[in-house]
Amino acid sequence: MRASSRSRGVAVAATLVAALTVLPLVVVLLDASSAGVEEAVDYLVRPRVGELLANTGLLMGVTVPATVVLGTLAAWLVERTALPWAGLWRTLLLAPLAVPAFVSAYAWVTVAPWLTGFGGAALVTTLAYFPFVFLPVAALLRSLDPAEEEVARSLGLSPTRAVVRTVLPRLRPAISGGALLVALHLLAEYGVLEMMRFQTFTTAIMQRYAVGFSDASGSLLASVLLGLCLLVLTLEVVARGRRRVSRVGAGTQRPATRARLGGWTAPALVMLGTLVGLALVVPVATVLRWLGSAIGDGLVDDLLTVTASTVLLALLGGLAAVVAALPGAWLLNRRRSALTVLLERSTYLASALPGVVVGLALVTLAIDWARPLYQTLALTVLAYAILFLPRAMVALRAGLAAAPPELSEASRSLGLGGPATLVRVVLPLIGPSVLTGFVLVSLAVSTELTATLLLAPTGTDTLALAFWRETSALDYAAAAPYAAVMIVLSVPLTLLLRRQILEER
Amino acid sequence: MKRKPFVSRQHRRPLVAALLALPLALTACSTDGESEDAFAAEPGALQIYSSQHRDVTQAWAEAFTEKTGIETQVREGQDSSMGHMIVEEGEASPADVFLTENSPAMTVVERADLLAPVDEETQAQVRDGMAPSSGRWTAVAARSTVLVYNTEMISEDELPDSIMDLADPEWAGQWGAAPGGADFQAIMAGMLADRGEEETRAWLEALAENSEVYQNNIATMKAVNAGEVPVGIMYHYYWYRDQAGDKEGSANTQLHYFGQQDPGAFVSLSAGGVLESSDMPDEAQQFLAYVTSPEGQQVLVDSGSMEYAVGAGVESDPALPTLDELDAPPVDPFTLNSDTVMELMTDASIL
Amino acid sequence: MTDVQLRAVTAAYGRHDVLDEVNLVVPEGTTTAVLGGSGSGKTTLLRIIAGFMQPRSGEAVIGGRTVAGPGVWVPPERRGVGYVRQEGGLFPHLSVAGNIAFGLPWPRRRHHDRVLELLDLVGLPAEVADRRPDQLSGGQQQRVALARALAPRPGLVLLDEPFSSLDTTLRATTRDATALALRATGATAVLVTHDQDEALSFADQVAILTSGRIRQAAAPRAIYRDPVDADVAQFLGDAVFVPGEAATDGCVTCPLGTLPVRGQSPRGAVDVMLRPEQITLTPAGTGQLEATVRHVSFFGHDALVELALGDGAAEQRIRARVVGLQPPEAGDRVGLDIVGPVRAFPSRPDRPGGGQRDESPVPSSA
Repeated sequence: MRASSRSRGVAVAATLVAALTVLPLVVVLLDASSAGVEEAVDYLVRPRVGELLANTGLLMGVTVPATVVLGTLAAWLVERTALPWAGLWRTLLLAPLAVPAFVSAYAWVTVAPWLTGFGGAALVTTLAYFPFVFLPVAALLRSLDPAEEEVARSLGLSPTRAVVRTVLPRLRPAISGGALLVALHLLAEYGVLEMMRFQTFTTAIMQRYAVGFSDASGSLLASVLLGLCLLVLTLEVVARGRRRVSRVGAGTQRPATRARLGGWTAPALVMLGTLVGLALVVPVATVLRWLGSAIGDGLVDDLLTVTASTVLLALLGGLAAVVAALPGAWLLNRRRSALTVLLERSTYLASALPGVVVGLALVTLAIDWARPLYQTLALTVLAYAILFLPRAMVALRAGLAAAPPELSEASRSLGLGGPATLVRVVLPLIGPSVLTGFVLVSLAVSTELTATLLLAPTGTDTLALAFWRETSALDYAAAAPYAAVMIVLSVPLTLLLRRQILEER
Repeated sequence: MKRKPFVSRQHRRPLVAALLALPLALTACSTDGESEDAFAAEPGALQIYSSQHRDVTQAWAEAFTEKTGIETQVREGQDSSMGHMIVEEGEASPADVFLTENSPAMTVVERADLLAPVDEETQAQVRDGMAPSSGRWTAVAARSTVLVYNTEMISEDELPDSIMDLADPEWAGQWGAAPGGADFQAIMAGMLADRGEEETRAWLEALAENSEVYQNNIATMKAVNAGEVPVGIMYHYYWYRDQAGDKEGSANTQLHYFGQQDPGAFVSLSAGGVLESSDMPDEAQQFLAYVTSPEGQQVLVDSGSMEYAVGAGVESDPALPTLDELDAPPVDPFTLNSDTVMELMTDASIL
Repeated sequence: MTDVQLRAVTAAYGRHDVLDEVNLVVPEGTTTAVLGGSGSGKTTLLRIIAGFMQPRSGEAVIGGRTVAGPGVWVPPERRGVGYVRQEGGLFPHLSVAGNIAFGLPWPRRRHHDRVLELLDLVGLPAEVADRRPDQLSGGQQQRVALARALAPRPGLVLLDEPFSSLDTTLRATTRDATALALRATGATAVLVTHDQDEALSFADQVAILTSGRIRQAAAPRAIYRDPVDADVAQFLGDAVFVPGEAATDGCVTCPLGTLPVRGQSPRGAVDVMLRPEQITLTPAGTGQLEATVRHVSFFGHDALVELALGDGAAEQRIRARVVGLQPPEAGDRVGLDIVGPVRAFPSRPDRPGGGQRDESPVPSSA
C-alpha cells in the first residue's frame, strides 16, 4: 500500500535519527565497559564518587522541591487570584528564562562572593529554573475548567479544600513535567556549579576531560550520570501518574473566578517581588553594571564577529534539530505505538548528558570512522541536533497535533495532491510550532559551551565560549558584553513563551 | 452549540513543556575560542593547537604572520585534554604546532611518538636546560610556583618554609589551591619527581582533607585577596598581571617564593613542538624558531603576560625575580610524569 | 456520470477484518444511506470510496472508472469526490470563504461569487464568509464543510455522520439544508449514519451494514416494510415480535390471530414481525382482539403503548404506536386491530425482543 510505504520511509528516517542520538551513549558505555569490572568498581566505589553522588542528590533534593513550590505558588497567584498587575507578573516571572543560568551565577558571584558552595548552587539553580515549573502550571491553570472546583464547592468543600482536591491532582502532570526538566538540567549543569564551586557528576566529568581527554574514568562517571538520568525519567513517569487529565465530555469553558487575596495581597506581592528581584533584577543589573566598565577598543568589532558566528551556529543547529525531529514527531502523531514512543524517549537520553560527553563521543567517532567530518561545521551542527532534539520534537508534536490527518484528507478530497496539501494546509498549521522548536533549539545552541569547544572548526568563537573564557579569568567586566548579548538574544523566546500561556485559553 | 475545540488544549501542552527546556545545561571549560569568523580550517594556514594563554599565543601568531606572511590559525584548549586529543587524532591530526602551558602535556604527545625533532638552531636559541635531550620539543616560556598570602591575615614570618608543611594539621582550612587545573598537576609532577610517590601521596591526601578548592589560579588569588583563606598556591604571573593592572584581585596580598630548591619553588616550562604528521613542517619549524628567537621572546615579554622568557640572553619583565634567583628544585622537566600524578590525585579523591 | 459500485470489497486493519466482501451499487444522482452501528465498518466503507484507505481485495468503481482494485489505485485528490466528516474538519487557519474556495483552481479562488453561491446553496448568509471557523456554530460549520466539498462540483459526495454532533433541532434543519443542496447540484451522495430516522428520511436507498457485511440494500419504504431478517427489522425502527406457526396459503397463526404474511413464509415455528404502527387501538370491545394497557410512553407527536394480551403464563406483551392527543392510560382495556400483512422469519431461540437501537456513535477511525 502506498500510504504504508511512505510511513515506512518515515519510520526508517525516524529510526536513523534515534540511532544517531543513541550513538554517543553507546560510545560512552562501550568506553566505560572497556575499563573492566574490577577497575570500574575500584574507580566508582570510593569516597570521591560517594561525595559526588551525595552532592548531586542534595542539590536535586533541595532545588527540585524549591522550584516546584515557588513555581506552583507563583502560577496560582498569577492565574487564579485577584493579584494586582497579573499580566505584568506573568511576564516578569517568565523573564528569568532569558537569562542563561551561568550568567545568573556570574552575577551572584560578583554580588555576593561569599555565596558559594551548596547554598549558592541551590539558590542560583532555583532562581534560574523555577520558571520551568511556573510555565506549564500557569498554562494548565489557565486552561482548567473551573466547573470541577464549583462542583466540589457545591459538595460542601471549603475553597481551599476544593483547590487541593480538584485542582492540585490535575496539575500533577504539569508539575512533574516541570520538575523533570529541572532535574535533568541540574544533572547536566556545569557553569553554575563550577562558579559556585559545588562539585557534582557533571563538574567531575568536566574535570576528567580536562586532565585526560577521553579516558575510561570519564566514561564511567558519565555512565553513572546516565543511570541517574534514567532514574529521573522513571520517577517522572511514576509521579505523573496514570490519571487522565483531559476534559471529560463537551461543554463550553468559562474563565475561572479569581480568588480574592484580601489581607494576603501584600505578602503575595512581596513574595513575587522578591522572587523577580533575585532571579531577574540581580543578574540584569549586574550585567549592566559591568557593561559600563567594559566599553573599550575593539570590543564592538569582536562582539559583532562572535555574535555573528553564534547566530549562524544557532540557526544551523535549530534547522538541523527541526529537520531531524520531523520524522519522529510525525510517526508519534500518526502511528503512535510502543515502538514509536520508545524511539522518541531514546532521544531524551543524549540530551540529558552534559555536552562534553556527547562532544567527546562524537570526536572519537569522527576520528575513528568519519575522518572528513572531524572539526567541521557539519559535525558540530549534528551534535547540536543530538543534544537539543527533544525541544524540537516536543514543539513539532504539538504542531502536528494542530494539523490532524483529517485536515490533510479533507484537502486531498478537494483535489489537492500531497505537496499542495503540505504547502496549503500542513505548513500553515504547524508553522508556528516549527518556528517555536527552531527558536528553542537555536537559543540552546547559542549558550552551549563544551560540545562547541570540542567539535567546532578551528577558529570558531561563540558568545558562550567568550563569556566563559572571561569569567574563568574572573574578568567580570570583559564578560559582561557577551552576557548582555546572550540575554538580548533570548528575549524573543520569553515573548514566545508568554504568548504560549495566553493561548492556552 | 457544543463542540470540541479543533486543536485540543491537551495537544498544546507538550509545546509548553518544550518551551521550558531553555538555556540548558551550560557546560563549560576554562579557556578556548579564537575570533576568526571562518568556520573551516583555512587552507594553507599553519594549524596551531595551543593550551597556552590566548593573548600570548595570539601575540606570537600575529607577529609571526606579519614577519613571514605565513597565515596561522589557532585552536585553543587545555593542556592535558589537548595533549590527549592530539594523541587520539594520531597521524591524521590537523595540528602542525602544539604549544602548551605546562610541559607534561607535551610529554604525553612525545611518548606517543608524534613529535618531529626540533631544528637544532631553535634548540640553541633557548637557555641551557630548557629543551629536552630528546630534541623533540623546546621550552617557549616558564612560570614559577609561589605562595600568595593575605598580608592582613598572616605575616611573612608565619609563612611555611616548605610547600610540604601545608600538609600539617595546623594549616587545615588555611590554604587554597586549584587542583583541577593542569598548572597544579604540573606542580605535583615536580613534587613527585623531587620527593617521590609516598610523600606526594600523603601531601595530596592532606590537600583533599585540608585545603579550599578553587576553580583556577585567579580564583585562588582573589579568594586570598578577599580573605577567604590566608594563603594559596599558584603561579607567579597571575599576581604580577593583576598588580600591573588595577590590583583589584591582589591589593591585599604578597607573594612568597619558597626557593631553597623546595618543591614549592618548582618552575614549570611551557612547551612548543612540531607534529611529525604536519603537512607544513617547514613553516611549523619556522614558527617554533620565531617563538624562541630573541624577537619572539621579546613579544612574550611585551605581551604583559609576566611569564618568564626562556630565550638565551632575553630579559624577562624587570618586576620579576630572575629565573636563577628562584632556586628551583633540581627536577628534570623532561621526565615529569603526569599519569602517576593523575593516579595519585584520583586515589586521594581529588579527581 | 457518477455512479458508485463496490464489488466484493474486503478491508482490514491489521488482522482485524472490517469489511467482508461488500457489494453496493449507488445509482447516479441518488442518495444512499449506509446504516450501521458502531464498529460496523461504515466509515471504512466511505474511506475506501474516498481513497483514504485501500481495500484488501475487491474493486471500487466511480463513474465507470475503477479507482481501487487489483493493481489500480487512484489517489483521493484525483477521484473528484467530496467528503464531509462528522466534525466539519474546517481548516482553522482559513476564513469561511477560504475554506469554501480551497478546492477551486487558483484564479477562481479570488472570486467571491462562487463562495456566495455556495453559502446560499447551503442556506448560510453571505456575512459569514469572512468569519473564522471557530466563530461558527456546529451546524454552520457543517454547512460550510458541505459547501467546501461541493465547491469543485464533485460528481459524488460522501457524508460521514455529518449531523451526529449536532443537537436535535439543528440536526433536522442542517439535514434538510444538506438534502436540498445535494439535490440542487445533482450529485450522487453516500451518507453513513447510525441514525435510522436520518437514513430513512434522507436517502433514496438504505443499506444496512452490520459486522462488515451489507445485509440488505433497498428503498427506505421497502426495507422498512420488508426487512430480510429479524436483525435488519429491529435495526430499522421498532419491531414487535410474537411467536407463531406457519399456516397454509401465506398466513401465520399467532397470539394476534391468523395474519397474512408478506413475501415468503418459512415452514413450522416462526417469529412473526410487525411494526407498532400496524396495531391500531379501538375502544374496548370493538376490535379483533382485547388487551390491557400496561404502560404508555408519551412523545407528543405520538405515543408507544405497551399492551398485555391474555394473562398469566400466556400473557403476551406487544407495543402499538398511536397518534393523537389522547392516548389511553395504563390499566385501560382496549380493542386492537392489525393492519396490513406481517413478516415471518424462521424461529430463533434468542427471539429478539423490542427494537433496541444502538445509539452509540461510531468512532471515525473505525
